[in-house]
Amino acid sequence: MRDKSDKRHAGLFTRGTPLLGRFLVWLRRLRVMTVKELLQFSRDGALILFMVYAFTLDIYLAGSGVKLELSSATMAVHDSDRSSASRELINRFRPPVFDVEGAISRGSEGVRLLDEGKAMVVLDIPPRFEKSLLSGAPTHVQVRLDASNSVLGLFAASYCRRIVESFGLETGLKRLGIDPRQPGRAPQVVNAYRVWFNPNQNNKWFMSIAELLNIITLFAILLPACAMVREKERGTVEQLLVTPLTTFQIMFPKVLAMAAVILAGTTLSLFGVLRYCFDVPIRGSIILFYAVTLLYVFTTAGLGLVISTIARNLGQAGMMAIITYGPMIFLSGAWTPPEAMPHFIRVLMLLSPLHYYIDASYGVLLKGAGLNLLWGSVLGMGTLGAGLFGLGMWRMRRQFQ
Amino acid sequence: MNCKRILAVTTREWRGMVRDRLFFAMAFIVPTVLMLTFGYGLSLDVEHSPFAALDYDRTPISRDYLNRFIDSPSFNFKGFLKSERDIYPLLASGKVRAVMIIPAHFQERLLAGRPTAVQTLIDGTFPFRAQTVKGYVIGINNSFNMGEFSRYLSRTAGMTPDRALSYLWPIKTEVRCLYNQNLRSDWSLAPRLMMMVLMICPPFLSAMGVVREKETGAIYNIYSSTITRGEYLIGKLAPYVAVSIFNAGVLWLIATKVFGAPFRGNPLFFFAASILYVICTTGIGLIVSVLVATQVAAALVTFIVTVVPTVFYSGIFVPIGSLGEGGRIVARLLPAMYYTNIVTGCFLKGVGFRVLWSDVVVLAVYSVSLFAIGYLQFHKRPES
Repeated sequence: MRDKSDKRHAGLFTRGTPLLGRFLVWLRRLRVMTVKELLQFSRDGALILFMVYAFTLDIYLAGSGVKLELSSATMAVHDSDRSSASRELINRFRPPVFDVEGAISRGSEGVRLLDEGKAMVVLDIPPRFEKSLLSGAPTHVQVRLDASNSVLGLFAASYCRRIVESFGLETGLKRLGIDPRQPGRAPQVVNAYRVWFNPNQNNKWFMSIAELLNIITLFAILLPACAMVREKERGTVEQLLVTPLTTFQIMFPKVLAMAAVILAGTTLSLFGVLRYCFDVPIRGSIILFYAVTLLYVFTTAGLGLVISTIARNLGQAGMMAIITYGPMIFLSGAWTPPEAMPHFIRVLMLLSPLHYYIDASYGVLLKGAGLNLLWGSVLGMGTLGAGLFGLGMWRMRRQFQ
Repeated sequence: MNCKRILAVTTREWRGMVRDRLFFAMAFIVPTVLMLTFGYGLSLDVEHSPFAALDYDRTPISRDYLNRFIDSPSFNFKGFLKSERDIYPLLASGKVRAVMIIPAHFQERLLAGRPTAVQTLIDGTFPFRAQTVKGYVIGINNSFNMGEFSRYLSRTAGMTPDRALSYLWPIKTEVRCLYNQNLRSDWSLAPRLMMMVLMICPPFLSAMGVVREKETGAIYNIYSSTITRGEYLIGKLAPYVAVSIFNAGVLWLIATKVFGAPFRGNPLFFFAASILYVICTTGIGLIVSVLVATQVAAALVTFIVTVVPTVFYSGIFVPIGSLGEGGRIVARLLPAMYYTNIVTGCFLKGVGFRVLWSDVVVLAVYSVSLFAIGYLQFHKRPES
């Protein structure tokens, strides 16, 4: 039916205005194919359910309750001095960073607690600690910590050093007769830091946005790739090839339909989770955010299409999606700052679309940056997208002709 | 249970897997590639943070103060700014992560023995990095103050600088980092990555394997045969478990040989626990496969139910103790946390069954219940 009306319309228009007519037919075919993809998607109930889960609860889980910095590190104290000075020092180890769980009477008990993972830090205060402090003799405290997580170990070590140092400085100042709380006469630099864009260093903001971007990436690779490979696996692609549709008209609607689905999910997540649950600010232009997201979805879908030209069945496609997704996440710069990476990896980062997207979306949402600051990222993403899409189209065409 | 039937299913599945050469290769390549890329790329060390400075004072002491940051490996100095208007675009475009502003009369006030203020503006987009940068700033600032102060004391109170320093710094802190003395991030990351990769790959293999039969209809051959569902599931999943156990061995080699992580525990105990964990994660794939009907859904669902909880609720980055109350409950409900205890225990701490027995028991209970649920939910008589 549709084909017939297609031809009739085409005939009708080609006589009068050939270009417009062909364009209308072209548009119509695009629309029909897009609707077909959406219908097919909407019939996979389990997939829709999990997509909703991914864009809401999953992001909520990632955003809430995850802190990357040290907090509530359980601490056991072996206080051999039991003086007011030692007690005062112990009192400096406070929540939220430390959680002083209790006193132990023997040093070996500390090792046991560390071994079993029941304590992260063990503080040993030597006997005669207060006496040496008052007499001006040098003394030392020992900190043993569980460094099986190196980052937290580093944090814990520097926190402990800082706390002990400032306690020592204050007792020293008291001995010199200077009030440590009013160091009006002391030459010192007070480094007042201010954190911009996320003044309270709210991890929820960072984590929830990062997770949203990850989920968008996952769907943008997998959905179009799978939609294409499924046709190959079932053989329905042969049917499509005998229609008057061009390769572009077969491929592009899949991307279009999945982009629509992903943007719907993004909206749900942006307003339902990020804004509503975590109060993530949208400081820049929301339209710019959507435009960048759309561009990103197309870029990443290009990657999915390249995968779909290599994979012969869905199992292979899934595997290849994982193997591209993993490196993309780590080359994005959200977890490891680019400056801490080896040089050749920084070059590779330029090939990860997520890297540009992370810069652009954090820029728009948290920093309120506009296109004047983000044009580089947008340009990089666009170039990459055009390249990937072209490659996918080229391979697809070669396969079918 | 008929062993011959199980063997028949296993052989068929194995052949199918080997004949799909790309898939078969991927089953081994994916875990290795994930382990290597994450191991090399996922360092959380914050180093060489780019920063810029705005120096209104331009005196020897202000230069000396800034030099401490410029010379530190934690920072990467990008240059002096001319005016405060340059700050926002630099921070917003991410070109620098911190800007330090030194006020006028900085040197004058310090020499007069009065406190002076410096302002540091930090990009808080990545809170973890902001926190670390803040820590470095405080540390460098403190050591500068200590020097200034002792020089001031020796000038005004007539002490030797060393004596002054002993007043200001009476307590030394001796920090001993157990299990990972040099705080090497690859040591601490590599064993945990093993946990993560073995959480993602086995369920993916098994879920795709079962759902493929459902989607293509090949499963009707099983439905109409005499094989029982138990026999089918065991036979079907056995090759995937075997592949994953082999992969666990490869990952162990990568962790110890490539990343150089020490292995201090009992290899036999660790191997047994790893097999249990692989069976457990394969079971997760089984559960996914009974829930969904298409391979697209299977791939996505496996991804989502395995990756996020493993990254956030397994103790790989965030220790369980630092999670919120809700997070702690989620962590306890997932198998990843227990295996994290086992890998860190076996690799770094060198503890064995005596300390880790409860984690092993939980994994065993987990595997049994996953397979029980999978068995009960898998029907040979589909409703429609």
